[in-house]
Amino acid sequence: MMDDLPRYSNKMRGVFSRDNLPKVVLAVSSLPIFIAAWWLLALYLQGQGYFYLPTPLEVWDALVLAWTWDPVTHQSLLSNIGASLGRFVVGFALAVGLAVPIGLIIGYSSLVEAFSKPILEILRPVPPIAWVPFLLLSLGLYWGPVITIFIGVFFPVLSNMIFGVKSVDPLLIDVARTQGASNKQVFTKVVLPSSIPYIMTGLKIGVGIGWMCIVAAELFAAQGGGIGVLITAGQSIGRYDIMFAGMVVVGLLGIVTLALSEFLERRVKIWTGMM
Amino acid sequence: MDRNDVILSIKGLGKSFPKDNGQIVAIENFDLEVENGEFVCILGPSGCGKTTLLRIVAGLEQLTSGSIKIGQKEITGPGSDRGMVFQEFGLFPWRNVKKNIEFGLEIKGVPAEKRAETSQRYVDLVGLKDFEMSHPKQLSGGMKQRVGIARALANDPAVLLMDEPFGALDAQTRNQMQMELLRIWKETKKTVLFVTHSVDEAVFLADRIVVMTARPGSIKDLWDIDLPRTRDRASSKFIALRRDILDELEVQKTGT
Repeated sequence: MMDDLPRYSNKMRGVFSRDNLPKVVLAVSSLPIFIAAWWLLALYLQGQGYFYLPTPLEVWDALVLAWTWDPVTHQSLLSNIGASLGRFVVGFALAVGLAVPIGLIIGYSSLVEAFSKPILEILRPVPPIAWVPFLLLSLGLYWGPVITIFIGVFFPVLSNMIFGVKSVDPLLIDVARTQGASNKQVFTKVVLPSSIPYIMTGLKIGVGIGWMCIVAAELFAAQGGGIGVLITAGQSIGRYDIMFAGMVVVGLLGIVTLALSEFLERRVKIWTGMM
Repeated sequence: MDRNDVILSIKGLGKSFPKDNGQIVAIENFDLEVENGEFVCILGPSGCGKTTLLRIVAGLEQLTSGSIKIGQKEITGPGSDRGMVFQEFGLFPWRNVKKNIEFGLEIKGVPAEKRAETSQRYVDLVGLKDFEMSHPKQLSGGMKQRVGIARALANDPAVLLMDEPFGALDAQTRNQMQMELLRIWKETKKTVLFVTHSVDEAVFLADRIVVMTARPGSIKDLWDIDLPRTRDRASSKFIALRRDILDELEVQKTGT
């Protein structure tokens, strides 16, 4: 009855297949080698007295110390993480909530695009961090850092959104119209769903930029602590180990949120049949 | 031409495009009346405007002159009284088979229960049972076009417009799909306007073949194909008819 049966790809091979073994060994050994090299370099530099690089163990101790109550911000590490994460979530949500509808409109209407493009092209190249001094002074120590993230996340999400709308297959729009769809239905039932994968790509890029922005803003000042605050506090009392502890935490948060957004992207792509 | 029970009537259709500083006349003085339940193939050299003609009937493009009527109603834009099947399928990748077929019903605001009933009927009609939940990515070309046909039919259009629907398929699948289409056509008793550049396909499928001239496209000749179905491609009548129509097309190509 069927003309020909669907073919499924045969690409899924075991991670531990023989071809992959050298790669697996390399991947598993790279982190221990990195930490060992760091350790040796730290000991060497400390012995020579050029400058102080804390060893991994010292950073670990600083993390343990900061976990409960660090001597500079007088907060627990979790409350510092919570402060940064809170700003991140608010700024990120604001950026996505505005960039998605604005991007949809700009991508859909060439008139709106003609008007808004010059404005966007002037604002886009300004690094979000350049806004920080102004934002802190004018908006204060909570909204200043939040709006910095907003600026950092807004533009990549917007660009992807516009691109997504423009990449809609015109054939699908023809199909919808021959099926009797109104302009509004073409928008909600064709343009919007076809743009979803592009929204997800924008979110992923936004996550990385978001963390950069939040820490950069907190390095200036922020209300109620934060990882950036912890790092500058460590600097102010010359505690290298605490600065490094802050860096490690930011890195881990970045990995977790990126993994989360990649997971979400995969789910959405599967859900929308793109994968 | 005097026909009874005309469902589609095209009168004095003309279409021109602006190009550079002038106008390109794509279609000129095209007249055609199609009876209810008739299978008409439009055949012509590439660039003769046959796809444009179909898109105008679908309402996707505006005509420059003339008029098109479905029954007594003049068409002014796209509508669900005409269903279209596209060469490149045009399935919504984020919708499964069932949801693709139900698209037009959703547009009309048909309640979910009724939609499911209708889509199931067309899933069965085109032979896609057990694939309702599959996404287009998981289907072969032939199966994709079965979805395309079911989706166009689910709206219960008066006329089914098909734009080289099997052009993207391999030869074997193509022949199979032609058989399937004839079966579906017999079961649904739909009027079909089918664009192709394959003489073989047209002779196999059509009640009537419209041969178009090269640009500007207009009707060069009409052929009534009264061979009984299912047609045997190896029969002498089939071969002779195919050769005659091919000759007619070749004459235009060389410009004599």
